[in-house]
Amino acid sequence: MSSHDVRDMLDLPGDAPRPAKKQKIAAPRPVLKGLAREVQNLSGDNPIAIVPEVTVFKKRRFATRKPAAKWELKPFKNSARNGDSLILRHWRRKTEAPPAPVAEDGNGEPAAAQPPPEIDDSTFAKYNVRVQTPKYNDEQYNTKLRSDDWSREETDYLMDLVEEYDLRWPVIWDRYEYELPIPQMDVDAAEGAIVPAQKVRSMEDMKARYYFIAATMMKLNKPPELMNAAEFSLLELMHQFNPAQEVARKRFAEAAFHRTKEEAREEESLLLELKRILARSERLTEERRELYARLEAPPSQGAIGVYSSSQGLQQLLQQLMTADKTKKRRSLMASDGISPAGPSGQHQQGNFERRDSINRESISGPSASNNKKGPSQGISERRQLTADEEKMYGVKHLDRITSSGPAFRHEKITKPITSKSSIQQQKIANVLTELRISQRLRMPTEEVGKQFEILLQNINVLLDQRKLADKLAGEINIAKAVKAEKEKKERAERGEPEPGDEDGEGGAGACLGDGEIKMEDGGREKSAAPSIRASSVHKRSASVMSGVSDKSTKRQKK
Amino acid sequence: MAPPNNQKRVKGTQVYRPFVYGTIAKPFNDETNPKPPGTPADHTHSWTVFVKGVDDGDITYWCKKVQFKLHESIQNHLRMVDDVPPGGTFEVHETGWGEFEITIKLYYVPESLEKPQTLYHHLRLHPYGETEEEKEKMKQRGEVPAVVYEEQLFNEPYENFYEILTSPAPVGKGGKTKVLKGGMVSSVGERTALIPLTNRPGSEFSLETENMLLEEIRRAIAETKKLSDNLAKENQEAETYLAKLRAEIAAA
Repeated sequence: MSSHDVRDMLDLPGDAPRPAKKQKIAAPRPVLKGLAREVQNLSGDNPIAIVPEVTVFKKRRFATRKPAAKWELKPFKNSARNGDSLILRHWRRKTEAPPAPVAEDGNGEPAAAQPPPEIDDSTFAKYNVRVQTPKYNDEQYNTKLRSDDWSREETDYLMDLVEEYDLRWPVIWDRYEYELPIPQMDVDAAEGAIVPAQKVRSMEDMKARYYFIAATMMKLNKPPELMNAAEFSLLELMHQFNPAQEVARKRFAEAAFHRTKEEAREEESLLLELKRILARSERLTEERRELYARLEAPPSQGAIGVYSSSQGLQQLLQQLMTADKTKKRRSLMASDGISPAGPSGQHQQGNFERRDSINRESISGPSASNNKKGPSQGISERRQLTADEEKMYGVKHLDRITSSGPAFRHEKITKPITSKSSIQQQKIANVLTELRISQRLRMPTEEVGKQFEILLQNINVLLDQRKLADKLAGEINIAKAVKAEKEKKERAERGEPEPGDEDGEGGAGACLGDGEIKMEDGGREKSAAPSIRASSVHKRSASVMSGVSDKSTKRQKK
Repeated sequence: MAPPNNQKRVKGTQVYRPFVYGTIAKPFNDETNPKPPGTPADHTHSWTVFVKGVDDGDITYWCKKVQFKLHESIQNHLRMVDDVPPGGTFEVHETGWGEFEITIKLYYVPESLEKPQTLYHHLRLHPYGETEEEKEKMKQRGEVPAVVYEEQLFNEPYENFYEILTSPAPVGKGGKTKVLKGGMVSSVGERTALIPLTNRPGSEFSLETENMLLEEIRRAIAETKKLSDNLAKENQEAETYLAKLRAEIAAA
């Protein structure tokens, strides 16, 4: 429906001749593809601004209209299977050319057997590569390859094995089971046959023998002068084979494999230590050389003797001043220290000073640049450190860090002490001195911190116990005093004489008194017993006692 | 310096670096340590206060400068030591006659964005020790060292700084000139938190010493345990005795 139709319906004026419009509409239509015709018509003469994008979800599958590919079951043989007549079949893309064999293939075996030239070789046959082992004849062996250790038979046996197992030495070594022939006195084997017992050949023995033979044969076949680089290097390599070294290497590797984690770590730290020592010695020699260089007359500054007197210095200063004046002043001022002619008066003090300042500047230069370089290396991705690296760089992951920022370990370790009241601090300090532990720990490391924490806990327990002991002793004294008072009163009521009473109750009291003394004695004995073991215990118990008596007297006064 | 917003702290991580600080004092005498000209007559010792890495390790990659606050009677008593080559020592040499407490303020490298921290150290001029024997030994040595080991903890360092702390010392052009000029070999300046395995004359802070200290503390732990166990037993006896006494009083 077009706008004209609408107008038509509503009887609006402005009708234009129809045929003309039809032509117009025909033009834009193909441009606005994918839009419903009705929607398009709504806009009337004005072109529609929005054109919906046509989304293609899937390409049409059969766009090419090619027929399905045909596959066929083809027989093949594998030439690597030394003349084996086994014939297997596999699916292959059918080649276009011969349409006829399809039927034949369907028959299977007879067809496969029938056309011998058609059967292809397996694609994997090309991987069946045999190593080339050196071949020798009798004469060559006798002239060049004879060995006291190896008989001809054994050498042959080795060569066979090498060929069979493609130079895979571990396999060769595993399969090597050479049995001495029953003494058959061949001419050439005579020497070898003398070897009495069966020998256990190590892999290195075999390798040494093989490389010897291979190298010799190589040289025999082609003089070394005519060899190309690769051949020659191979020859060299074979000549260089050293069985003893090889054995040592293997043993070392095995040892390295079996070492424990602790050993590895120790080795690492030892290496670090060694590095440190070496660096230190290097530095020492460096320093020494510098010292020697200084002791000798500086070679580059031969004329320095002239300036050694104050007069000479004055002269130098004059020279420098004039040079300074003639040259542009600013350039000299800018490169103050580095310029050999320091213009200001302070610089006349001496050559060493100046040299030092040069040194310092040149040293601080790179270090500053290092610092700047550091952070740019990797802000975004933090590297994952291995456990060893973390140990080396002192990185710890803690569950809870109370405050971020720098701190000192010793401060942190002693915090439980310093946060207490001064009286308590003094008490802890006393215990520590009794234990002969210095309050300033010599090496506040993490491990030391952990142990020290345990120690502090123990000390706190100990202090609590002492407090309790004091309290108990005081209460016992009070109870005793009360009891004595009561007894006194009772006696007074009954009008009995004070001491040495034979009365039942008095006797009981005396008994009790005795018991009490015994108890105390017992207590003393107990505390005295450990005092033999450790002097500090004795000191402590003595102090407890004195503390007890002090407190009890105080309470009695009250 | 207020930390900018684009920097984050590495959470839950702590990096530590060992270092040593302290003083070494030498009495003046004519043969080995003559008085330099110009020292006041009443000065009796020459001394050095320093901050450096353990076993000459490098600390300059985290410690930028150190301020030593000396006694106010000393001329120019605030000393800032700056621009120390890698592996070098922050130190101040002075002469004097009295002991006092030195305030050592460590300023960290700007990348760390951390505020400076303060340490206190008592300058020792005269031989000290718990026993006379120790004092005598120190006197024989001709110098009075008061050196302590400390570990700098960086709790949750900023990422940039963490990166610096956990990467090996950069080598290359800068490293080479270092070797030439300062006689400093880069491997000494390795950024490690490890301490040497064994003691050597001149540096007694090593794993060996740490183990000895650990041994001592463990012994002390055992001792305190024994003491408090004994005391606990005594207390129990005392308690039963007290209970008995009270019962008697109540009965009477």
